[in-house]
Amino acid sequence: MNEEKTIQLDRMRYTKNKFSSGFALLAILFDVFFFISVYGSDVGSWYYTILVGASILYNLIFMLAAFLSSEGVKNYKLGYSYLMIVLGVIQIVRIFIYPMRAHAATVMVQDVPVAVMGDGQFIRLIVYLVLSAACLFIGAVVGIQRSRALSAHLATLDVKPA
Amino acid sequence: MAQLNIQHIDKIYDNNVQAVFDFNLDVKDGELIVLVGPSGCGKSTTLRMIAGLEDISAGHLLLDGKDITQAPAKDRDMAMVFQNYALYGHMTIYENMAFSLTLRKENPNVIHKKVLAAAEILGLSSQLNKKPSQLSGGQRQRVAMGRSIVRNPKVFLFDEPLSNLDAKLRGATRREILLLHKRLKATMLYVTHDQTEALTLADRIVCMSMGHVQQVGTPLELYDSPANKFVASFIGLPPMNFFNATVREGFLEGKGFKVALDASERALLMPYAGKEIDLGVRPENVLTEGDIPMKVFSNENLGMNTLVHGHIGGVEAVSNKISAKFRGWCDYKDGDQTTVGFGRKHFFDKETGVAIGREDKA
Repeated sequence: MNEEKTIQLDRMRYTKNKFSSGFALLAILFDVFFFISVYGSDVGSWYYTILVGASILYNLIFMLAAFLSSEGVKNYKLGYSYLMIVLGVIQIVRIFIYPMRAHAATVMVQDVPVAVMGDGQFIRLIVYLVLSAACLFIGAVVGIQRSRALSAHLATLDVKPA
Repeated sequence: MAQLNIQHIDKIYDNNVQAVFDFNLDVKDGELIVLVGPSGCGKSTTLRMIAGLEDISAGHLLLDGKDITQAPAKDRDMAMVFQNYALYGHMTIYENMAFSLTLRKENPNVIHKKVLAAAEILGLSSQLNKKPSQLSGGQRQRVAMGRSIVRNPKVFLFDEPLSNLDAKLRGATRREILLLHKRLKATMLYVTHDQTEALTLADRIVCMSMGHVQQVGTPLELYDSPANKFVASFIGLPPMNFFNATVREGFLEGKGFKVALDASERALLMPYAGKEIDLGVRPENVLTEGDIPMKVFSNENLGMNTLVHGHIGGVEAVSNKISAKFRGWCDYKDGDQTTVGFGRKHFFDKETGVAIGREDKA
């Protein structure tokens, strides 16, 4: 390994993984855009089910978990990178819950069938969830790479990871 | 190489108050100069003018022959260490030390090398991931120094860096600064009001009072041959004793005491025959053997030495007050009578305060 690479690795002992951490925070931001758009919709009584309550609860859990992951990956904690992958997978799965189901549904308003979700909102919501998931995946992959590299480097220095 | 020439510098504030008068100094490469003086004497102002944090009202400042009088602080290649450390609380020690180089957009790998090298010098290698609040005062001051070292400046400027530390830590950090100077062989200017710091650290001391330079010299020169009464009273702890005395044939006569003069002293004081002068005697030059009567009013045992305070010549007046530093443990009681003598004496002109025999040098 050349000297530049070694120094680069050694720098990680004193610098944070702001790249992965930043992506985790960005994922939260896209999730916020997602739920603002969903909860802003009010078409008949289609949304008034237990699902919206579960969705709100999940968004809170997601934001907390993503924020914790952001702090964890910042300090090269490998476990939090895996948590980010799980959160990313769930964001993809969510596409099949609200956007898909709402887009396919119609409600009767004054005996006129009305689409619950227009094409524009449908695409926007999918983009938000995909971007949120992508940020989590990118952050997680970089986090895993860096955490492993740092652990290997610390092993050569005979220093225990913090 | 960093040679600093300070030529006839004045500082006049907008309200016409002059803080520094005609400051002249040539600082050699690798020299540690200490600016010492009481609060408000202009030493910090002088340092800030050198750093570029204050405008220079008149005069010139040359660094390695290049005029930097009007150059902004960032272009002067000088690093300043402040009394209050000026560390960023939300950053780690590593980030604090790397900060100035990061701002300059230097290569992160180069920054890393420099920070680790500085941390090694200062014994901070194990503290790099901590925040300033987790460190002691002495360690924080070392971080502040480290931040200067990584920049590899031509001149280091220290503005009372030890004032916030307790006495024990101050002594330890002082020794570290001295070791750092020896190791880096850097040109350093150090401001303090503590004469112990000045005497222990300096290659040369600049003693200032009321904006004027009183004397420039090695610590020994300032201690042993003070240029005037101010320097004599400021350097040395406890301060020098002063007495009014009249020069007589072969002796000095004061209130209630007579002191014989040797041949060299007689020659020195010949122009002052019959005139009043100020006689200065350091406490450590007051001898237990002698014929000058002394009435003790205070006895302070310091272990190795004893500080004895009293009045001489049977006159209980401020002008006859004396402090003596005797070797060993003494047990004088209030009101005890003893006799003392004067060893090394200093003579000052009554009107000008200039040391007699140094008029040409003052």
